[in-house]
Amino acid sequence: MTTATVDLYKPVKATLTKVIDESPSIKTFVLEPEVEFSFKTGQFIQLSLEGIGEAPFTPSSSPLVKDRIEVTIMKAGFVTEKIHNLKEGAVLGIRGPYGRGYPLEKLYGKEVLVLGGGCGFAPIRSLLYNLEAEKDKIKKLTFCYGSKTPKDCIYKGYIDHLRSVDKFEVYRSVDQADDEWNETEGVVTCLLDEISINVEESAAVVVGPPIMMKFGVQKLLDIGYPEHKIFLSMEKNMSCAVGKCGHCMMGKYFVCKDGPVFSYDEIKDQPDIWK
Amino acid sequence: METYYTLLKSNWDTLLNSILNEYDIYAPFHFGESIEYSIVTESNVKNIIYNRPKPSTPLKTFFLPVKENVVNPSKSDKKRIVMGAPSCDLSALSILDEIYLDKDYIDPNYSGHRKNTLLIGFDCHSTLEHCHCTTYGFKPYPEENTDIVISYIEDKIVLNVKTEAGETFRKNWINSYERITEKELTKLNDIQTDVEKELNGKNADLPDYQQTGKLITASEEDIWQRYSDTCVSCGACSAICPTCSCFLFIERPQFEKVRSIDTCQYPGFERVAAGEDPLRPLSKRFRNRYMCKYVWKPEKFESKACTGCGRCIEACIGDINKNDLFRELNKKETVET
Repeated sequence: MTTATVDLYKPVKATLTKVIDESPSIKTFVLEPEVEFSFKTGQFIQLSLEGIGEAPFTPSSSPLVKDRIEVTIMKAGFVTEKIHNLKEGAVLGIRGPYGRGYPLEKLYGKEVLVLGGGCGFAPIRSLLYNLEAEKDKIKKLTFCYGSKTPKDCIYKGYIDHLRSVDKFEVYRSVDQADDEWNETEGVVTCLLDEISINVEESAAVVVGPPIMMKFGVQKLLDIGYPEHKIFLSMEKNMSCAVGKCGHCMMGKYFVCKDGPVFSYDEIKDQPDIWK
Repeated sequence: METYYTLLKSNWDTLLNSILNEYDIYAPFHFGESIEYSIVTESNVKNIIYNRPKPSTPLKTFFLPVKENVVNPSKSDKKRIVMGAPSCDLSALSILDEIYLDKDYIDPNYSGHRKNTLLIGFDCHSTLEHCHCTTYGFKPYPEENTDIVISYIEDKIVLNVKTEAGETFRKNWINSYERITEKELTKLNDIQTDVEKELNGKNADLPDYQQTGKLITASEEDIWQRYSDTCVSCGACSAICPTCSCFLFIERPQFEKVRSIDTCQYPGFERVAAGEDPLRPLSKRFRNRYMCKYVWKPEKFESKACTGCGRCIEACIGDINKNDLFRELNKKETVET
């Protein structure tokens, strides 16, 4: 973990080198930090616009790539709207990485189930890059991904790639299909009825909107996953990112420092985990 | 370390005057009805208020100013003495230290202010209506987080030197002192015991810290709705709380950040971009602050998150008295069990 520095709150500069449209409301921003910037999958960064604002994001790129960092952002508020308006060449600030990422060591040797929804695919992609590079360490990976409509599905090219990776299985659903959609229609949890997985040998990762995580966890518990083998990446209002400002408190936890990834048994008794 | 010295008040005033060039010294003074910290000058040194509870502003503001640039802080090399903090405020530094001096992420500003400040706490020789430090296990005389403790008794200043920094200060600056006499020590102890008794007496029906946490956890929603009915979300309870330490960042050019005090009592404190805002309902927001102080912080930290200063009761423009709320919960539980 990062140790104390006089620059605890000062970002390093990063140049925006590419903007990729992922869906009508989601874009990926490729950033080149002025210094090498490494992170562990599931850790988050603080991305700042000079003089405007700062917001937390979990990188969507591979943690094994050190010279650039990709952040996939849905237009959802003041800062994200400003970021969406940026053009290549813009200079942003990044701080971090912060927090506790995905517990890779608890996924090794397992049939890994990843359940994602909407923009939750962004942090998941980083995990999938990581697991693909280490696929000899896992038994298999089953990825269930849900979006509202086909046009809201992000990383279409990457999905095609994942389907070709040995040991990887991909299932997708949309809440509302169109004529061209030939995969599942329904909320993402219905994909759990389609998959074949040995729950005893499995650990699950769930990332997405709170309502999706709530029902996703419920279904995983119903099909026999123990609470300590379900890992969630929590979305809270991380601001300082170093366990001080209090905005991301979730009961006794500072989500920024104690999380953002928690096992379900760690957080189930804390307040407002699905809000 | 605990060593008592005494010196004449007139000599103490002379001493303070003689070190004004070395230190910025802050001490409590009367401002109308209230007591407030202000900078000590040659002309006001005689007006310092000793051993009276308590400055309206908590001690924390010396370490967590209301607004401060944390990326490009303004620097002053002049050392600082803060005199006059009561025990409740000094004990409150423990949890602030746990948060801001957390070894994983030491906050440079807070740490700098702490290191640059010599603390001279005051015993409380009287109490205010809402003082309840003893209910939560604290004494009305400073026991921790202070370099020196002062009691002004008759014409003498009694110094209780508690740290090496305090002893260095004494050696450097205090030449004409005497060892405390047995009679003086007895007098000091008598004052301390009397104040403690008074506090214990008037707060006898108030549940202790741990019990308060249990009562809050078990409480029903209706009592929070009732007590928050007059809350206008002004945030005064947090601003004047010696342990509340939440803040927000204001972005400035050159990627600088200004830290500004913030509170869960303001709407939108936990709101995320997609719109979820767990603390939107007022009664929930109101309860959140007490859950934080009596339930969640105790699970996470060693130090207590309320030291019983009572300022939140004094400051509330909605006349909300959290101790009435806790008494009511306590009474209800006693009746039910």
